[in-house]
Amino acid sequence: MLSSDVAVCLWIPLFPLRCEERRRPGLAGQPAALLSPDDARRLWQVAPTARRMGVRAGMTVSQAIGLCPSLTLCEPDPVYYDEQFARLLLALGDVSPVIEPVELGRVFIGVDGLEGLYGKPGRVVEVITRTVAGPRSGTRAKRRTPNGRTLPASPFPPHRRRRGWAEVARLGWGKGKFVSWVAATRAKPGDAVIVANGERRAFLAGQPVAVLPLSPDTHRRLWQLGIKKLADVARLPEAALTSQFGREGSRAWQLAAGNADDPVTGQERPEPIVAAIDFPAPVGDRAMLVHALGKLIERALKHPRRTGWRVHVVRVRAALEHGASWMIGATLKDPSADRDHIAAPLVARLEQTPPNGAVEHLAVEFTAFARGTDELQLFARDASAAARAGRRRALHAAAHEIQTRLRRPMLHHIIEVQPWSRIPERRYALIDFEL
Amino acid sequence: MVTHTRTPLRADRLRALNVPRPVAVELDAQGFPFAVDDGDGKRTIDEILEAWRIDDEWWREPIIRQYVEVVLEGGGHVVLFEDLTAKQWYIQKP
Repeated sequence: MLSSDVAVCLWIPLFPLRCEERRRPGLAGQPAALLSPDDARRLWQVAPTARRMGVRAGMTVSQAIGLCPSLTLCEPDPVYYDEQFARLLLALGDVSPVIEPVELGRVFIGVDGLEGLYGKPGRVVEVITRTVAGPRSGTRAKRRTPNGRTLPASPFPPHRRRRGWAEVARLGWGKGKFVSWVAATRAKPGDAVIVANGERRAFLAGQPVAVLPLSPDTHRRLWQLGIKKLADVARLPEAALTSQFGREGSRAWQLAAGNADDPVTGQERPEPIVAAIDFPAPVGDRAMLVHALGKLIERALKHPRRTGWRVHVVRVRAALEHGASWMIGATLKDPSADRDHIAAPLVARLEQTPPNGAVEHLAVEFTAFARGTDELQLFARDASAAARAGRRRALHAAAHEIQTRLRRPMLHHIIEVQPWSRIPERRYALIDFEL
Repeated sequence: MVTHTRTPLRADRLRALNVPRPVAVELDAQGFPFAVDDGDGKRTIDEILEAWRIDDEWWREPIIRQYVEVVLEGGGHVVLFEDLTAKQWYIQKP
């Protein structure tokens, strides 16, 4: 897997809302909010104009309308946002092979080696910005140097001008994902902040503790201790933070001191297997949707590319009547090629967050796989149970061999004796592993 | 009443875990430990997390210990105790 030490973070805040503004230009500048895909009575994302009037994400619709009567509410369209983000990632793939998406609207781009191709960091950022902006209008413009030589024309072909993401994207350049992410949060829309390697510590020192990826409880405790800047965190001994906050504290210290090693790791994009159906009439009945889901999973499992692989990640997309969409996904704890095993978490999600309208088109996608054999599925009802039984047999065989060779037991169980005792050596004991 | 399983107890197969090891501890003016040497070099104590005392088994061999749970320099988390009968310090895992 490719990786890169130096990263550019491209961040488009409120990405789903921006997607809606792109396809409904009248929405830009208006107080608007997206409804939550999981709970249609609550708000998911809120435009800055609405936030200024007191509307917040998570509020109920009635609360929000009470604060801002002119608020425009939009139904979420997660499939559309996913497609837009996938297109953005595809375009960025032309700049660098090391792309690590984090969430809708935030992606890390590995830029190791690109300075040799494009020049200084400023030039690399410019290339990324132009890629994100999309093709430009007009004929190919020739550029001239100050001494009159003609440079090659712009690499972008002439096309009708389209509005790109460049106006709202914030870019941050730095060594490691954390530094580039913090730099992106400090950039203005359409701008970039570049943190040279030598300036990393000085840059981080002045940042607020809120940029650290910590739990809300840990943030609250740091605030109560009067620790407000990363410089305050870096000044403390690492052992002190570790003893107070555990592994989270140690990681926070590493990040604040600029010592963290967090390169960008490129992700492989597997080709998904898709099975889809168009209903002759929109379907709202949940039982019928569950039945259709089962049939689509069965069809996808029969796909020739699936042979020899077990499904690890599955997604369901639906186009609803009136142009809305719905999407759920599941990552299977034990990759499987069994229809019911794959369908179970999807049916549970369907019950928890059903679509907000009748379904016109339903698709099942297998997007990640794990190696597996048909025989494992034939002789073991549950692949994980077979794996556990196999491990037990292997453990017994190994223990028997050790005892035969060394003539004394070398494997032990840890058993509880007095786990409540204030004398530590009385809490647990070792006992020989029984064959 | 639970039926006896007739499985032999085999108490000889039990081994203690987290057995304490003797160490040398330096105390400050207030009598609190500030450095420990367990044979791998002296390490200072960064923080004392908790302290407690045990007085137990007075009917057999009395166990009288003063425990201190500490964080060592470098982040190590250990328990020290002084056996007040033998006047010897020990170290073990928490």
